[in-house]
Amino acid sequence: MKTFIRTAIVAASAAPLLALAQAGPIRIGVVTPLSGTYAGIGQQVKWGLDLAVTQINAAGGIAGRKLELLYEDEEANPAVATQKAEKLFQVNKVDFLTGTVNSGSTLAVGQVAERNAKLIATTVSFSDAITAEKCSPNVFRVNARAGMQSAALAEWLAKEKPQANVFYLGPDYEMGRSTVAAFKSAAEAKGSKTVGEVYAPLDNKDYSPFFGQVRSAKPAVIYTSVAGNDTVRLFNQMAEFGLARNVQVVGASGTVTSQNLAAIGKAADGFVTGVGYAANIDSAENKKFVAEFVAANKAKPDLYGADSYGVLFFYKAAVEKARSTETDKVREAMRGLQWSTPQGVKTLRAGDHQAMQDMYAVRVKGGEFEIVGKVAAAQAIGPDTCTKF
Amino acid sequence: MGEMLEWLQFVLAPQVINGASIGVAVVLMALGLTIIFGLLDVINMAHGEFYAIGAYAAVALLGVGLPFWWALGLTPLLMAVVGYATERTLIQRVFHSKERHTLTLLLTFGLAIIMEDALKIVFGANPLRLEAPISGASEVFGLFFPNYRLFVMALGSGVIAAVWLVVFRTRLGAMVRAAAYDRHMAASLGVPVAVVYAGTFAFGVALAGLAGVLLAPIYSVFPTMGRDFVLIAFSVVIIGGLGSIKGAVIAGLLLTQVQSISSLYISPVWSDPLLFAIMVLVLMWRPQGLFGRLGHA
Repeated sequence: MKTFIRTAIVAASAAPLLALAQAGPIRIGVVTPLSGTYAGIGQQVKWGLDLAVTQINAAGGIAGRKLELLYEDEEANPAVATQKAEKLFQVNKVDFLTGTVNSGSTLAVGQVAERNAKLIATTVSFSDAITAEKCSPNVFRVNARAGMQSAALAEWLAKEKPQANVFYLGPDYEMGRSTVAAFKSAAEAKGSKTVGEVYAPLDNKDYSPFFGQVRSAKPAVIYTSVAGNDTVRLFNQMAEFGLARNVQVVGASGTVTSQNLAAIGKAADGFVTGVGYAANIDSAENKKFVAEFVAANKAKPDLYGADSYGVLFFYKAAVEKARSTETDKVREAMRGLQWSTPQGVKTLRAGDHQAMQDMYAVRVKGGEFEIVGKVAAAQAIGPDTCTKF
Repeated sequence: MGEMLEWLQFVLAPQVINGASIGVAVVLMALGLTIIFGLLDVINMAHGEFYAIGAYAAVALLGVGLPFWWALGLTPLLMAVVGYATERTLIQRVFHSKERHTLTLLLTFGLAIIMEDALKIVFGANPLRLEAPISGASEVFGLFFPNYRLFVMALGSGVIAAVWLVVFRTRLGAMVRAAAYDRHMAASLGVPVAVVYAGTFAFGVALAGLAGVLLAPIYSVFPTMGRDFVLIAFSVVIIGGLGSIKGAVIAGLLLTQVQSISSLYISPVWSDPLLFAIMVLVLMWRPQGLFGRLGHA
């Protein structure tokens, strides 16, 4: 009799637990480069996401449900990213997807998301097109786009080197070309002159053939949008060939980050860029975030780590506002959403799904980034050119 | 006038020197290829893979702690052994048939595919960086140039000169040329033709391996590096003349200069297609290339 009562009690108390378990964890797919030229970026993305998940789950998850991350390697290749995203949506039934780095991958995976009626957010891709002419109702961007970085950098350049001759060197793909285009229009609007523009293949090993044109043009400023290992090779070769003497080198925010800074070494000193994040932003929120990140990963966060950390809090805020994980409700909740990040409060512009935030100009010195300028969010954001929704 | 001089010194000269440093390595590859074709009548499609294996061998040797100079000296020797073994075990089997050209082409092509995948399995698909043994740059007449590239140019030129000397000024070279010109006559005069054949193949492969080690710090080491580079080497050999050492050297140096100087005006990504276009024109206008065959050099 006692055994019967005990069993009944256990069975009764198990029922509500079972009911809760049926809601299950919220699955978030992460398609990010874990190998190849952009593996270092993928590593920061993973660190940021893992830290956020640990903290969110420790505080009870989202609406009582735990978060679960499923990782797949996109190899910085849109074709591979599409396959992996398809798998995550259809086989693993993820509720939300993030992590794409390559702008081409983000655009391609955005289309996969539309077909599967799910939402994705990128925390890295810079190409303006993602929230401009190629915008999609299922794609969101929480990081600063090329246009915003260019605005901050162009502002700084106009002050430091007014009306300078600028030479452009970028990797030959979507991000490389659009970043150069964005800065070129921002810089030319402020009075600089373009003296050359050349594109090298992604993963190019030897940049010395490109230096000929640089030498012919005799620029005062060189702007580059290479990233990852390409930056290591380019900067080291520029130093070897004495190209960086008497020239101010500036570039996209993804060009020099804490991931490749060590490999570039002294050759990176003096490099200036416009970014949405720097590890030494002087706010209590950021100091706490950096301390936690370093404790977990023994490395400082860069913009990819910080923005990837922020995206899960963005999703959390949206799901809690919508009180559901259904695509349409979450999409509505995300539009106009404001949420707290290590960089301060960001606002997601409803018209094009682009996050608005303050931007900084930073310079590399002795392996550290020092802040040399700041531009307010409203000034940096640029016009809303998305017409699809 | 002043501006012209400045252009010559600061724009043209660095391009020419850079082109020469790459050209020397291209010539080393092309030399091996042309010697193998000129003598053995074998189109070695695996030549690029021997270049890659040379680079990976250097990576492996550096990995066990040997300094770069040891790797530079040992790798060509290792590659020579590999080449000798390949010739004796594989090439000799198909050499004496009537379909020699097709069979050796297919054989070496298959070998290339196997070797490339083996490298990917053993070393992984990611590019590996090899540190240049000589760092820093020298300033010569106001031009900054990395010391390592200057070294590559110097060593490469030395090796090319040595090859030319051996082939044309020594008894060993005479034996090699005799075996190329008329195998049976040379054999009847006491030239050990089978050993000469295998040795020459080994030598060509050693040259490819040397080029691999020399270029590894500049271009990085990755499994498809052989496939990319061998196309350039083949174009040089075809334009210079299959089997002609003089042709390989002149065409190699000239074509890399064309690539280098043209990249002042057009994007450097077009320099390889430009090279192939020149090869197509040469094949249409003068199919035997600019100069003759080894046996008749």
